[in-house]
Amino acid sequence: MAAERPSSKWQIMQDGKTFYKRQQLYSIPGKLPNLSDYIVAGCRYGGPIALMRDHTKLVALGRTTPAITKAQIQIYSPAGEGLLLFSWDQGKIIRFGWTSDERLAILNEEGTYRLYDLQGDYQQYSLGSEAGEMGVIDARIHENGLVALTGSLSLLEVKGWEGSRPLTLANPTLSQPPNSWAVIPPDVNISRHVEVLLSVDSTIFTVDNLESIDQRLSQGPFTHVSPSPNGKSLALLTFSGTLLVVSSDFQRTLAEFKTGDVVGAEGAVHQVEWCGIDAILVTWDNLVVVVGPFGDTLEYYYSGPTFAVTEPDGVRIVGPDVCDLIQKVPSSSASIFRPGSTSASAILYDAWESFSQRSPKADENIRSIRPELAAAVDECIEAAGEEWEPYWQRRLLNAAKFGRGFLDLHNPTDFINMGQTLKVLNAVRFYEIGIPLTHLQYIYTSPAHLITRLTARNMHLLALRISTYLSIKPDAVLKHWASAKIMRSRPSATGTGAEADLGGDEDVCKLIVDKFEQLGGADVSYAEIAKRAWEVGRGGLATKLLDHEPRASDQVPLLLTMKEDRLALVKAVDSGDTDLVYHVLLHLHKRLPLGSFFRLIEDGGSQLAPASKLLQVYAREQNREMLRDFFYSDDRRVESAVLSLDEAAGILDPNSKITTVRAAQKFFSEDKDRGFESKMMDESARLLAYQQQLEKESDGKIVFFGLSVNETLRMCLVNNLSKKADKVKSDFKVPDKRFWYVKLQALISTSDFEALDTFSKSKRSPIGYEPFVHHLVEAGHPREAIPYVLRCDSPKRADLYVECGEWRMAGKECKERGDKAKLDAIRQKCPNSLIAREFDQILASMK
Amino acid sequence: MATSTIDEAAAPTPTEEPLLDVGLLKEVGRKALVDALNSVNGAKTLVLDASLAGPLGLVIEVSLLKHHGVDKMFWLEPGPLSSTTTNIVYLCRPRIKYVKIIADQIKRHGKEAQKYTYTLLLVPRISTLVSRILEEEGVLGDVRISSYNLQFIPIADDVISLENENAFKEIWVDGDETVIYDSAQALLTLEKLYGLFPRIVGKGDQAARLANLLTRHYLPSDSTTPDTLLTQSEKIDSLIVLDRRVDMITPLLTQLTYEGLIDELVGIKNSHVELPVSLLTPPAPMGVASTSAEPTPGAPTLKKVEAKKKHHLTTSTDPLFAELRDLNFSSVGKRLNKVARRLEEDYKGRHQAKTVAQLRDFVGKLGGLQTDHQSLRLHTGLSELLVPLTRTDQFNKTLEIQQNLLASYEVPAQITAIEDLLAQGADMQTILRLLCLASITAGGIKLKSLENLKREILQAYGYNHLPLLLSLSAPPLAVLLPNPLPPALASDPSAKYPFSPLRKSLRLLIDDSPEALDEVENDISFVYSGYAPISVRLVQCVAQKGGVLSNPAEKEKEKEKDKQGSSIKAQAHPIAGWRGFEDLVATIPGETVDIVQNGPNGGSAVAAPMASLLRPMHKPTTTVVFFLGGCTYTEIAALRWVGRQNRGRKFLIATTGIINGNTLFESISSVPKPTQAGSKDAAI
Repeated sequence: MAAERPSSKWQIMQDGKTFYKRQQLYSIPGKLPNLSDYIVAGCRYGGPIALMRDHTKLVALGRTTPAITKAQIQIYSPAGEGLLLFSWDQGKIIRFGWTSDERLAILNEEGTYRLYDLQGDYQQYSLGSEAGEMGVIDARIHENGLVALTGSLSLLEVKGWEGSRPLTLANPTLSQPPNSWAVIPPDVNISRHVEVLLSVDSTIFTVDNLESIDQRLSQGPFTHVSPSPNGKSLALLTFSGTLLVVSSDFQRTLAEFKTGDVVGAEGAVHQVEWCGIDAILVTWDNLVVVVGPFGDTLEYYYSGPTFAVTEPDGVRIVGPDVCDLIQKVPSSSASIFRPGSTSASAILYDAWESFSQRSPKADENIRSIRPELAAAVDECIEAAGEEWEPYWQRRLLNAAKFGRGFLDLHNPTDFINMGQTLKVLNAVRFYEIGIPLTHLQYIYTSPAHLITRLTARNMHLLALRISTYLSIKPDAVLKHWASAKIMRSRPSATGTGAEADLGGDEDVCKLIVDKFEQLGGADVSYAEIAKRAWEVGRGGLATKLLDHEPRASDQVPLLLTMKEDRLALVKAVDSGDTDLVYHVLLHLHKRLPLGSFFRLIEDGGSQLAPASKLLQVYAREQNREMLRDFFYSDDRRVESAVLSLDEAAGILDPNSKITTVRAAQKFFSEDKDRGFESKMMDESARLLAYQQQLEKESDGKIVFFGLSVNETLRMCLVNNLSKKADKVKSDFKVPDKRFWYVKLQALISTSDFEALDTFSKSKRSPIGYEPFVHHLVEAGHPREAIPYVLRCDSPKRADLYVECGEWRMAGKECKERGDKAKLDAIRQKCPNSLIAREFDQILASMK
Repeated sequence: MATSTIDEAAAPTPTEEPLLDVGLLKEVGRKALVDALNSVNGAKTLVLDASLAGPLGLVIEVSLLKHHGVDKMFWLEPGPLSSTTTNIVYLCRPRIKYVKIIADQIKRHGKEAQKYTYTLLLVPRISTLVSRILEEEGVLGDVRISSYNLQFIPIADDVISLENENAFKEIWVDGDETVIYDSAQALLTLEKLYGLFPRIVGKGDQAARLANLLTRHYLPSDSTTPDTLLTQSEKIDSLIVLDRRVDMITPLLTQLTYEGLIDELVGIKNSHVELPVSLLTPPAPMGVASTSAEPTPGAPTLKKVEAKKKHHLTTSTDPLFAELRDLNFSSVGKRLNKVARRLEEDYKGRHQAKTVAQLRDFVGKLGGLQTDHQSLRLHTGLSELLVPLTRTDQFNKTLEIQQNLLASYEVPAQITAIEDLLAQGADMQTILRLLCLASITAGGIKLKSLENLKREILQAYGYNHLPLLLSLSAPPLAVLLPNPLPPALASDPSAKYPFSPLRKSLRLLIDDSPEALDEVENDISFVYSGYAPISVRLVQCVAQKGGVLSNPAEKEKEKEKDKQGSSIKAQAHPIAGWRGFEDLVATIPGETVDIVQNGPNGGSAVAAPMASLLRPMHKPTTTVVFFLGGCTYTEIAALRWVGRQNRGRKFLIATTGIINGNTLFESISSVPKPTQAGSKDAAI
């Protein structure tokens, strides 16, 4: 094993403190085409690169690559393995870039964008009609969204990759496209909103969703604008080749550097990328230069054009023969391997080497760093994570283990985690997998993210092994596996041989369910897998899989798309979630012809009764026409009638109101059990007609229409139309009692005591005369009430007199009846002594 | 405060183990609203559905809303909306009519080229229906739809409510099960806080549906399932679900407790009651007798010109109310008197104050005394307001008919009496309440007199009430039926309510004889002066089996015991479902529910009921009683009484809303009430 120390490959900056290292990740001679002929987009975190022929570049014919007129996109892993190749049949591609979950977003000039996963499946979204009309002339794609520049030079932002509606950012009022531009993604910006940097003339505009600000720079125009990975600084390259580094709020200039001074730099600058947060990488055709914070440089030469991808902890360079990672040497590595380092960790490593060579120096070394040993152990563990070669990883971990032996207490968690992590990292770095993930990137993106990346490459076994090894739930892997399984076992297109095929529905379903149960993927949503099956045209399989899904809210939407209408409705009703029922109902109402829609619900019987009820609730408010049809088609006379009545209540025009009430009556009359209701509606219509007549007779001065029978009577009486009232009474067979009460109250309310008197004498009152007294007193006419007391039953008279305030007469009454007890009782309630005395007299006289 | 003078019938006993802290639910509701508001950046105009204002007022204060950027509030009403802020937030229940108003306003803004950002917060959750209607109206793209999950609102220490006024109507008239689903969700939230209900006992078809939804909801070991849903609750021993259909009689009767009577005669809405201003503001000079607010006896109606003000009836600021609310109204006067005396004595304390220190003590107490004074004044005034209303002929006639019907005494005569009331022009609600009561207790009304009465109703109150009458007689409600039943209903078991057998077996009616009067005070029947609500009896069947059965003699003995050591109450027995009452409960129409919930971590199905029996006896637990379709104040009072009889069990009453007979019929009746012209500016 080559025991060349890692530091042998390091390069030191001119300042003599900072080391940079170029780690060769893969050797890829001849695997990639000449990058200068292509437009390239690289995915962070050791992701793949996507290539598309740059049509502005001339290509010599007769080379190995066939000349293709159609746009074609090729995707290569960092190890140079071709992952995917597909051709583009849409409008001209404006821009493509990678999302955080390793999908390739491609935007064309019509404002349409697609998200391709590594299997070539895509989702398509649009930026909306405005973008479609104006056209898209440029765009910037970041991991969680994109910003497009439309033909009208306005900016559209899309947040996330779920096809959300584009938001228009503040208008920068440009007159021509910017010289160059960039976006600061929302997750690294202070405001948590996307910020767009436009290089216009000599200055830069910063644009967000609220405002567009001119930063008043004078050095421009700029050919390259590049925000740092943490969003805090910007690298700007002027036409004259001056590299400016400013803080992203433009308050401070951090560095200035003339790229023209670089020896060997020829032609135009290709890329300005960040390497970490304090160094900038500038690339030319064959040269890559790292510019440090103080203008120090490091040059790296390549045999041909390169492409740089900024990583959180460095920059990845894809060259013609190699794929490299350039990064600042991490402090832990530097502290151990820096030539002449005397740090505790360096001594610990030294001690371990001496120990493994059986040299007594080991003990001496350990003794010398005793107080810092714990920190040294930690640093060795950390440094192991930074090493690419398993040889050095092992050595560093061994050194840590050795150091641990001298410690009384040391938490081994970090040590174990690092071991596990390195095992995983080494596995995925293998060239066939081709994910050159550094330890820091792995921690940053989480193990679960790594697993989804593996499943996206259809590497299910490795993903499953890793998730088991790291004790992560295997659900995500299983789900992806099942989807892939369904895709692969697609029955032959002819279909006839499908049953005999290996991918028979029954088999596949069993295979999937068995695997899930075996591996404990209980939480996997069968609905999602079933959806997948349905999408590839395997309805039968989808239905079978759906049976295993316990959640109705997941089942129902798929059942609907599968046109299993009845089943969907039944499941929805069963779930008790009325919103789900509405979802199904509204969907079906839109899709099915009305007749079959009704039949579906009616045929459901009691099982679907709640759905039918909900439909009625909805239709009553929103779609009465449909409800009428629904009741009609089901011969529901009573409901139809009620609906008519409901409508009648809202109608103001008298004639049409009567017609509607008549219609309701007709509905009732068609149901033999509803004779009473029919009769009532007949009465109602008659009353309305009569009220109409009354209004006409009164020249519209009195409002009758729509009143109840009682109110009509009252209105007649109050307006001196007692003949009409009598007619209403006889026409509607109003019982005497009620009529008397109504008339009594009406006459009192108009204070027509004469008429009241006549009325009371018209015949023997069916309600007695007490109500006369009560109501008169209540209305504040106790004096008028007195005559009626005499006509009441004698035992009650005394109390009634009291009610009228006639104490004396009450006393007299008692005396006449010789009712001493009553007299006593009344005396208790006397309002003043005068009356009390009188009562006493009466009492005395009765003795 | 001399709590010792208060007898235990009414006073909450603060020394006992605390109940579940329902304030937590309020906190949850408040935080959810604040979060929802904060999700919209900057100043905003809040447009509020008026039916939510009441419930919201119980959760959040206007000042807090302002604090979170609410600039102005408007009612959600038809007509144009002008806003000074670019953000407009609509907060409403997902009802179609509201959505149409919103769509209309948005379209209007569009026409006027005004640009706003719209956020629609739906209570309690997002609805497909709403997005569909917005789509149909063509404004879906302009609105961000989100939800504000307002669930149970605490309206007292032991009462939580969804404050949904229309729950009963939606379930039993419209057949809209949304309320049941929402209730299940709300109960699930309780489970998330306190753990699974170890046992769910219930009665009624819809209760069964609810229990079914509730038990189905947890899924095996979902990674998102909180731990509380995996194990039985420590604090709650069971959930008793009763749907309103099981006991339709109770809400039809006139409530006779203090709070119940206020609700019947004045109306309590979302714990708020509208009172004359003079009752609420202390009179300018101190020491004016509290009778100054006495209404003139000649004007028994409340509709006076005097300005009204909303008052929040709550025990937290008004300790006297806690004493009074559950008392039978007949003893309220006595209690008020007692409190007045006590207060006077406390005031007199100042004369005994000799030294400066004593004086300082007295002054320290003065604030409390003044609060007491004010609340005494309020309740004295309020009861004086009620007294004349309870003295009217109509009121007493109504009570008489009710009592007679409950005793099945001369039913035809009662029908005639109802007819008389109608002729005299009583409220339609009063008539319908009596009529439905007659129908349920007597198993239907003779077809001839029923049709006659219906005709009278339609003539007296308008033919537009026909749909209401139809709803009342149609299943699944079926509370106004002819006798014999029409053939369509004859086979439906839910149409026949076994009232007479229940009256005996559940001891519903306590005689009016003097020796029974004592018993009335020793039984839940005090809430209706001699009639025990079936619903609460059913709860007793589960949670206090002795209370259902005990005859007066046994009661006597118990009382004896009580006297010997009043602090020692019987330990509440563990929940064992309907045991002992299975046959009785089976006679009541509707499904019977008895489910034991173990949770996946809870061991085998056989072991669990044993475990619940073996629960440490001394451990205090809470029994949640959920009324699907609403409950009355009397039922709450009765349940509180039951809760006081035993040691170790408290009741937490949960309901979809507080109802009484009047609100019940108002909600069923589709005839809109004349709306009061309110100001456009909303207030909570």
